[in-house]
Amino acid sequence: MAWLTESFSLPFMQRALVIALIVGAVGGVLSAYVVIRRLAFFADTLTHTVFPGVAIASVLVQPLWIGALIAGLASTLAFTFLSRQRLVEDNAAMAVILTTFFAVGVMVVSRVTTFTNDLITLLFGQILTVDRGDIMASALLGGCAVLLTSVLHRELVARAFDPEGSAAAGRPVWALDLALNVAVTLVVVAALRAVGTVLVLALLVTPAATIRPWVRGVVPMAIGGALVGMSSGVIGLVIAYQASVERDVRLAPGATIVLVMTTVFALGSLAVWARRSIRHRVST
Amino acid sequence: MIASLWSSIDAVWSSPLLRRAAAEAALVGVLGGVIGVHVSLRRLAFTTMALTHATFPGVVIASLLGWNLVLGSSAFGLLVVAAIALAGGLGRLDHTTTTGVILAGGMALGVVLVSVQDGFSTNLSAYLVGSVLSTSGSDLALTAAISAVVCGFVLAAHRPLVASAFDPAGVRAAGLAASAVDVGFLVVLVVTLATAVPAVGTILSVSLVVAPAATARLWTDRVGTMLVISPVIGALCGAGGVILSHWWDTSAGATIAAVAGAVFVGSTLISPSTVSLRSPGRSARRQTALR
Repeated sequence: MAWLTESFSLPFMQRALVIALIVGAVGGVLSAYVVIRRLAFFADTLTHTVFPGVAIASVLVQPLWIGALIAGLASTLAFTFLSRQRLVEDNAAMAVILTTFFAVGVMVVSRVTTFTNDLITLLFGQILTVDRGDIMASALLGGCAVLLTSVLHRELVARAFDPEGSAAAGRPVWALDLALNVAVTLVVVAALRAVGTVLVLALLVTPAATIRPWVRGVVPMAIGGALVGMSSGVIGLVIAYQASVERDVRLAPGATIVLVMTTVFALGSLAVWARRSIRHRVST
Repeated sequence: MIASLWSSIDAVWSSPLLRRAAAEAALVGVLGGVIGVHVSLRRLAFTTMALTHATFPGVVIASLLGWNLVLGSSAFGLLVVAAIALAGGLGRLDHTTTTGVILAGGMALGVVLVSVQDGFSTNLSAYLVGSVLSTSGSDLALTAAISAVVCGFVLAAHRPLVASAFDPAGVRAAGLAASAVDVGFLVVLVVTLATAVPAVGTILSVSLVVAPAATARLWTDRVGTMLVISPVIGALCGAGGVILSHWWDTSAGATIAAVAGAVFVGSTLISPSTVSLRSPGRSARRQTALR
């Protein structure tokens, strides 16, 4: 285990570890709700639409998370409006909102001289340069998201599996949808510094998708998802660090974490397939 | 203001570089507009998004090995389609979730591959927001050729494409292979995106596939009419975006996508379908959707 302690002996790696654990846990919990509601595309939309808020906040020298939150909420409202009007189908509405918001963000950033660097930092995160304040902000935003979903857990699950019954019981579907959308926005904002906007999608979908075939119920899925999220964070950071120190190979840490998570998903899917074919053989 | 807009138009027209860029953007607008109608009928917007992001490693690998970029990203695109289909067959996961997992995983693989080499930032931002201003004559010729092939395919296969989108069971009953049409369309979509992405970037490709078709949908209920309106809107957004980006001094790819979005937003406010929603009598007919 020497390589493990060695990987995290430097202060910047310790801070990266803390934020990876926070973001992995929060993303893993939320991913359970995203998967049961089939909100992967909506999550992807949000990861792109927070971008203009971040860009404008960075130009105005305001805290990035405030800008991201405002833009995320604005796009949530825009989508709710289009979806209720039934003008176009939801997929098309999300795609148009996604590309338009993102394009406005790129236009803002492209007016600033250090175009490329800023863009890359915002899109892919810089987990190795997080400071104490970033960690506090991530913990706070992520904590709010988990709190929101825990308080509304029963209602959210009922709305996911039985929307008509849930509405008949007098629970406003739009309010529950809005609450979950806000929670997803909070996680996207919380993970901004660690993995960047583009790769947050993995945190919000892959953990629960990996666990889902193995467990029954939403709570085990959320807990299992958090475990997948956190362990992928640790393994990804160790791989990125060791590759850089031992082999002198530069691997983007945020993307390495996502790649570890996707590999776990692929192995899990293979195991599901193997289990099913064995059962099939036994039963015939 | 009008004078400075006019001088931007004049500048784009008189510079060969900008003229090529405007022509490329307009062509991709036509291509995206045509294919976008069928993407919207088949509700493939998220798959389109996934194909543009998850083919990123294909582009990186092809550029490392010195292969043709369109070939590399097409090959990877077919892999992605196969992976989405495979992962959907395993486990108890729906299409949206597996698409999300593969989109993010593919993008991460691409980012890791790029980070191994140097020159991280430049390649990546070119891939995301495109470098339409550096379009060469041969890029333009390739886009034109692919556009012709795709438009030909969409025209020739019009009936089976529309029928299998609306009524797959009926198509099977008539003795046609609905899945062959589906697969054929996905291959055409992969080739379209493989052509568009290296030229204009991922976000812009998605934008020009989705936004013009969604806008056209607001103005008509007929597939045939959509197939005319949508490419016209796409071409105008493409060329108009290049001119505006020169005027405002902003990224060309992003400006084109923002213009396409603005045209959609404008149409939601004034199009007949919005107006008909306000009068209760016609809204019922609206929900019976496309003819």
